[in-house]
Amino acid sequence: MSLETPLLQQAQPATTPVAPPRGLWARLLRHREAKLGLGLALLLIGLALLGPLLAPFAPDAPNFRAKLEAPSAEHWLGTDQSGRDQLSRVLDAGRRTLGTALLVLGAVFIIGLVLGTIAGMAGGLVDVLLMRVVDVLMALPSIVLAIAIVGVLGPGFQNLVLALVISWWAYYARLARSYVLNARQRPDVIAARLAGIGWGRIMVGHVLPGVAAQLLIVATLDLGSMIAAIAGLSFLGLGVQPPAAEWGAMLADSRLYFTLAPWLLLGPVVPIFLAVIAANLLGNALRDTLDPGRLR
Amino acid sequence: MSALAAQPDSKMARAMPVARAVGGRLLQALLTVLGISVITWALLPLAPGDPALSLLEARGVKDPTAQQVAALRDELGLDRPLLVQYVEWLGRAVRGDLSLSYKTGQPVLEELGKRLPATLFLAGTSLLIALALAVTGGLLGAAYHERWPDQLVRLLTQVGVSAPAFLLGLLALRFVVVELGIGKVLSGGQWQYVLLPALCLAVSRAADWAQLLRASLLEAMGANYTLVASARGATKLRVLWRYALPNAALPLLTAVGVGIGGLIGGSAIIEAIFTWPGIGSFVFAAISARDFPVVQGFVALIGLSYVTASLLIDLLAVALDPRLRAGGAA
Repeated sequence: MSLETPLLQQAQPATTPVAPPRGLWARLLRHREAKLGLGLALLLIGLALLGPLLAPFAPDAPNFRAKLEAPSAEHWLGTDQSGRDQLSRVLDAGRRTLGTALLVLGAVFIIGLVLGTIAGMAGGLVDVLLMRVVDVLMALPSIVLAIAIVGVLGPGFQNLVLALVISWWAYYARLARSYVLNARQRPDVIAARLAGIGWGRIMVGHVLPGVAAQLLIVATLDLGSMIAAIAGLSFLGLGVQPPAAEWGAMLADSRLYFTLAPWLLLGPVVPIFLAVIAANLLGNALRDTLDPGRLR
Repeated sequence: MSALAAQPDSKMARAMPVARAVGGRLLQALLTVLGISVITWALLPLAPGDPALSLLEARGVKDPTAQQVAALRDELGLDRPLLVQYVEWLGRAVRGDLSLSYKTGQPVLEELGKRLPATLFLAGTSLLIALALAVTGGLLGAAYHERWPDQLVRLLTQVGVSAPAFLLGLLALRFVVVELGIGKVLSGGQWQYVLLPALCLAVSRAADWAQLLRASLLEAMGANYTLVASARGATKLRVLWRYALPNAALPLLTAVGVGIGGLIGGSAIIEAIFTWPGIGSFVFAAISARDFPVVQGFVALIGLSYVTASLLIDLLAVALDPRLRAGGAA
């Protein structure tokens, strides 16, 4: 493999890994896994958005006469140690877990895009320094760095987001930089340069859409691990704090009533698992569709 | 690091290009370690609270006076410029002094060192399980391409990559340990209880690696050299094992190098769930006790082991792949 790839790149440095946007949906919808992933994702996002309307009870309203009840017609997923309806809490938590994941990845996407593009365009010392920082950050497992930062700053939503963004952006910047470097050698970009078009317009017209598409694939593929990281950190008590409902934090609660009320465990486990599957299916499908280099 | 630096010497005599590549790789690793030291150090100034006060309490001084705190601040150089503080910290860190744990008053490195074997045992077992599952799955998928074993492998790996280790850990704890009575909730780190946490930690990586190996095996099965081998009468199994696997192993090796970081990082959460007495559960206890030097030591240790692991993997790849030995001509 390693023999073939460089040759291929030499032969056609002009490969644009960007699909014509018009065909994207059509191609995605022909992809069996994409349909499944998209369906699941829409279902979960829909449930999270409509959660407050669908929830049969207030998510944080205790009912001490109905503590740790098993699933029933009234409480589909049972009740927790304070008699709160588990289904309502799972729905409420979904908004927080998924919303946080999207927030962090959105920030990571923008930071990676901006810094990577700057490094690729500026070159020289700026490039070297930025890429050294990227190397170092990528040498530490993201989750370890996130645990350390949030562990030192103290638990809480803001620190969780900050820690995750700091430990996650490096790969995006490196990817954006290598794409920009590659694009600068492309015939269409060189032609535009020779025609006297400024870098600003070239970036917007020829380079950035491709960078964005690449980063979008990675971000979608990352969504699963991001959801797992947020739930994991909250499970450890480092993320979203009680009484706010979050899938991982709910798992931590459920652990205290492990033998007594196993349904408390299953309530958050199933949506986390479905969310990660949906993100992975969708990410793989996007990669196949947007990145013809991998199709062949 | 010194043992590593000495290793490539014999090779350098043999081939210059390899020596240059290996030397460059070593330099890169060294720079990365330096960068990790900056991050590690920076965690303490980031932390709320006065390190001098915490350290005095760790040394057993109850209700330290303002003079005592001021004296220690002076001794630690906490009022000096950050750059000076970093250089001094680095000087101590290089000599193995990562300060004292606020909680136990013992040297951080000693505390972490005591618990490192348990973590390495868990992560190592998990690595072996993941590799065994990945090679089995990858070979099955490639040997029975598009038939039911392949379909099964694809389904299982698709599900496997989507199963976060800590979820598997919780489910295993509840339904295997509590329900079936296999293993122990509070394992205490005895070797006979390692399998369950190691398996939970292995699943997503095994699935990821199996997908990768299957794909590169299938690619190798379509290459000319396997076609020639088949034409010369080699059985499919022999072609797969003797010709395709060695070539497909290299991308897997690279992925394993990258995955080891996640393995060590993921083991922290698994340790917390199974109360495995490694550095992971120790660091979570340290976080709740606001024992920041331990958190620093944890990051330094994991960063160092990850850099070392990926360095070894890269050197191994050079040793295994004649194309890389040819001085990176490709």
